[in-house]
Amino acid sequence: MRYLALPLLSQNLTESTARAQTLSLYLQLSLQVSLSQRNESTMSSSSSSLPSCPKKVVTLKSSEGETFEIEEIAALQSKTLENMIDENCADTPIPLPNIKGKILAKVVEYCNKHAEVGVDAESLRAWDAEFVNVENTTVFDYILAANFLEIPTLLDLTCQSVADMIKGKTPAEIEKTFNIKSAFTPEEEEQVRRENQWAFE
Amino acid sequence: MEPDFIPTSFADFPEDVHLCILSFLTPSEIANFSCTSKRFVSLCRSNAKLWYALCDRRWGSKTQIRKWGNGKIGYRLLYKTLSEWESLIGFWRRSGQRSTSSSAVATAAVVPPPPLVSFEWGPSFVAGSRVSPSEDGTYGVVKSPFLWMSLSSSGEPVNFVDPDGKSGEFGSNYCDDSIRKTDLIPVDVNFMGCTYLVVEENMGLGCSSHRNGFRRSLSSANLCSDEEEASGSENGTFGSLPDRYMSEMYQNFANRTSPSRSGAARRQRKREKARQGKRKWEAEHFVKIIDCSPTPSRPLQGLWKGIGDCMKLEFYLVTYDEIGGIACRRVGEPADRFSGCAPVFWTSKAKFIEPPFSLEEAIMYDSRVHLHPTDEENFMFGEPPMENEPVSRILYINSSYDLLIPDLAGTTATDRRNEGRIWQYRNGTFGFGFLWDNFIIDLKHIALNGCLLR
Repeated sequence: MRYLALPLLSQNLTESTARAQTLSLYLQLSLQVSLSQRNESTMSSSSSSLPSCPKKVVTLKSSEGETFEIEEIAALQSKTLENMIDENCADTPIPLPNIKGKILAKVVEYCNKHAEVGVDAESLRAWDAEFVNVENTTVFDYILAANFLEIPTLLDLTCQSVADMIKGKTPAEIEKTFNIKSAFTPEEEEQVRRENQWAFE
Repeated sequence: MEPDFIPTSFADFPEDVHLCILSFLTPSEIANFSCTSKRFVSLCRSNAKLWYALCDRRWGSKTQIRKWGNGKIGYRLLYKTLSEWESLIGFWRRSGQRSTSSSAVATAAVVPPPPLVSFEWGPSFVAGSRVSPSEDGTYGVVKSPFLWMSLSSSGEPVNFVDPDGKSGEFGSNYCDDSIRKTDLIPVDVNFMGCTYLVVEENMGLGCSSHRNGFRRSLSSANLCSDEEEASGSENGTFGSLPDRYMSEMYQNFANRTSPSRSGAARRQRKREKARQGKRKWEAEHFVKIIDCSPTPSRPLQGLWKGIGDCMKLEFYLVTYDEIGGIACRRVGEPADRFSGCAPVFWTSKAKFIEPPFSLEEAIMYDSRVHLHPTDEENFMFGEPPMENEPVSRILYINSSYDLLIPDLAGTTATDRRNEGRIWQYRNGTFGFGFLWDNFIIDLKHIALNGCLLR
């Protein structure tokens, strides 16, 4: 930004001359400012070597074709996306045919939240707890998405919440919660339980 | 038009995901889970990947799971051992005095080792280090590793003591021959519950009279099955320990057979006397220092270091009792409240005085001299001198357990002599002093979040 060399105002000037000089100075200044603003906007759109370039976004496409944008910084939490960004495959929308739009939206929200700066650990923990406070089937979908996109923090968070569903339950309760078809007769189950006691405790 | 979808069910997950979920559970919960279907039985049983995931989840951030046992150990065994050894991590104090009956120990000029010991995770072992105040007049501490506990490929504990603290790094590659060449002494580490530890020389190594070359690390259940020979080796030294009740308990559990079986006991004692002559290292007993860090409701609790009026750095332990009292002792003294040793300070009610402080209190504080390290120019990390630290709260303390009868006519100067103050600073540390002099001993943490502060 070029600086205007301000002429010294002599003290002997009359008031009207001083006002005229001030006005002309102001006009020159404002012209200068608008010129440089235009310069800045033209310069920034052409090359990416300037310090103030716009944030890069990555576009993700869900199984239904819906697109979602995510900032590159937030996308780096996914190892899958990070690899693609490194290999310059992330300039076109990335298709994710096994992740539904509803789930993808929430995953993007998770990554954005965890890429924010200045969030204290306590409130982030509370936010995470709310995030997984949803239906089991939704949590399962989060798990599959986190597994596919290789987002370790989200995978740990969701797996921990499923593990919490297993804790403290008897096998019968676990079967009910997760709709697991038990292939055991009661006698078989008793035998398995006895063998497990030896194996695990 | 959304295509028909079958909701994701638990069974649809790939194996990696199942393992990730199971890694958050305890073994008994996994046992429950595996009863649910044939598929999960085979997933959970004898699955090295599962046990590795469990180890990694619990200790992966603290130690390198894959390096334990030379990388060949079974992970189920590793899980069991690490769960036991996890209770070692932290600070312990040596208890009892060294016996003078053994001829292997040199003269009385031998300085007893420092009482404070810290156990930490290593990459493939647990390391015990003696922590002592540095003698250079600063707040620095000296940490010298002396005990290494690791596992062989078959899961047997392999523990060594370095009596002189000379060998630096403990390499994980070793063999029996190399051990004898170095100064490292094989030891057994025996747990009595979670808070009492006995480290004693493993005389069985190289001794043909012993059944096994190595002895397993003992839990209280295993102690019952030991032969009397194996654990009776401390008969000669136990009598000299002040913590006699602990040693008697230990003996009782270790020697399930009646100790009064005269023939065997006499023969065993004779063997022991002969063996003690060859002992290179005296057994040491340790008691765990629980509560070695402050908490929000107990801000003065834990291990501290400060420069006393002898201008030497000393370690202090501040403990709270169940009725709201606080006591401070130098580390190494027994924590028994009614022992003969007077505390450094104590108070029966930890009730702080909040600002604004009375003029008398302000004068008392301002007129005092903070005892500084002598080497002030080389302050580590540029800590500000304590004079600039604002006082946030004051606590009344006493220096001796002598009864003060409050109703006697007036409190004379001699009665108030033992009175003192704790000045808690805004940064969480505190200083203390007594009315008999005008010094303040400023204390700093020995460790924060498990890391030793230098």
